[in-house]
Amino acid sequence: MAPNDGLILAIETSCDDTCAAVLDGPRILSSLISSQAAAHAGFGGVVPEVAARHHLELAAPVVEAALAEAGVTLDEIEAVAVTAGPGLIGALLVGVSTAKAIAASRRLPLIPVDHLKGHVAANFLEPEPLQPPFLCLVASGGHTLLAAVRDHEGYELLGQTLDDAAGEAFDKSARLLGLGFPGGPALEKEAVGGDPEAFEMPVAMSRDPGLDFSFSGLKTALVYRCRELGEEGVAERRADLAASFQAAVVGQLTAKLGRALKRGGWEAVALGGGVAANGPLREAVARLCEQHGVRLKLVPIALCTDNAAMIGSAARFAPRVAYPEYLSYDAFASGKRPAVAH
Amino acid sequence: MLHESQLGLSPQGRPLHATGLLDEVERAAAVAGGWDQVDLVAVGLGPGSFTGLRVGIASACGLGVSLGLPVRGVCTLDVLARGIGEAGAEGEVLAVLDGYRGEVFAALYSPAGERIWEPLVCRPEELAARLAELAEPPTVAGSGAVRFRHELTRDGVRIADDADPVHRVAARHLCALAAASGDGEAGPPVPIYLRPPDAERWRERDSFQRAK
Ligand SMILES: [Zn+2]
Repeated sequence: MAPNDGLILAIETSCDDTCAAVLDGPRILSSLISSQAAAHAGFGGVVPEVAARHHLELAAPVVEAALAEAGVTLDEIEAVAVTAGPGLIGALLVGVSTAKAIAASRRLPLIPVDHLKGHVAANFLEPEPLQPPFLCLVASGGHTLLAAVRDHEGYELLGQTLDDAAGEAFDKSARLLGLGFPGGPALEKEAVGGDPEAFEMPVAMSRDPGLDFSFSGLKTALVYRCRELGEEGVAERRADLAASFQAAVVGQLTAKLGRALKRGGWEAVALGGGVAANGPLREAVARLCEQHGVRLKLVPIALCTDNAAMIGSAARFAPRVAYPEYLSYDAFASGKRPAVAH
Repeated sequence: MLHESQLGLSPQGRPLHATGLLDEVERAAAVAGGWDQVDLVAVGLGPGSFTGLRVGIASACGLGVSLGLPVRGVCTLDVLARGIGEAGAEGEVLAVLDGYRGEVFAALYSPAGERIWEPLVCRPEELAARLAELAEPPTVAGSGAVRFRHELTRDGVRIADDADPVHRVAARHLCALAAASGDGEAGPPVPIYLRPPDAERWRERDSFQRAK
């Protein structure tokens, strides 16, 4: 399929960041992310209703700012892309409603995009776009999956988490250790001075021949360690606990990636999702790629975490829905995207 | 008025906001002669269902950005009250919306349409108790009045039949109020939730328990 190469306005509101971007083919003209992290920090995690309320305030201003930064007007936009799911339904609904209203009133086509395809498609963006085939590990607060990317249109799911997402595991353990939110960066910082081998963590799924992930056992193990140590003990050994937990998460992610690489045929590996910002994970994956003689593609962190540029990138390779067919289009929280109702 | 429509529920009894609103909006714009003929987008700010508010306000703001039109929000209870007044109510008017979770959203208005009670959320029994304190019983209408007719019907309180259109929030009253509100109140439409997010309440409860 030839990519959609006109100017695309993209909107992403599946979780706690309100994002809008303007793309000219694979080139990003603007990509704005209005983070709500501060609003959720007091809760130690993303609160769906708080997220939806913020998106509602921010969606239109962020779209206007993205257009202004790109130096274009809506008259030049040829299609509107939007994350249709999976994600928090109330949050998605704000983005989809905004996108539909903009597209419909200008008779533009709408391109509903699967959020996870967006994470994969971040790798297709300039500069240095990565061409398929490649293996893509996406790990964030909402998802953890291993994808075989053979073309631009989609991917084959090789493995995914059976319980918590990797970033969710970081958030929960950070809360347990009395660290801040988002948990990943806080835990990574705390772990710097710690001994990653100080505490033994269960090696989850090590004997499972598949490529699925599981992080809930790790979290339970950390709960027990904290209980044994007591409040003072945790305070004393916080760095060691953080380092050990982080090492276990990184270990599992790289073990599954290594197993997929061993099955062979891959020339490149890409990382996506907020957890891809984790330093020790980046280092471990880099070592793994070197061992296997494959290229490692690391997109900038602003394109790893949720953003609208990646949604626009995926939209270039997704079907356009013409006006007025999408007027009844609805967001989806999880699972397969429903067909457009006529 | 050029056009007015009202979406009911789906065959499964679910609201049609996400799937039906924009189609109706486009139809209304077409009847007006296209978007070029439209000067202002008016939107109900609630109180109401979270999903409804999200779809309504996000769509209105999207249209505003797209067409370069101002977007003006109006309290949904004000819109309901205007309809009750126009239907010939004498004396004060109590607009009552179903607030879900067994509660009502309500506000009291003077015969001239000025607010006497600011919008509030409470249980129907509490609203009935407040009603009883009024010197003259007002005209009561809205989805909440229909739903809690039994709790709210007391000496002298008049509630029209369930099927009476007075209970519905009508878009033409929304337009009239938005057009009358003037340019002074411009700014992004801020939804009227009346309730904190659930998690906020859990946090309050948690900190309260920790403090004990
Ligand atoms: Zn994501």
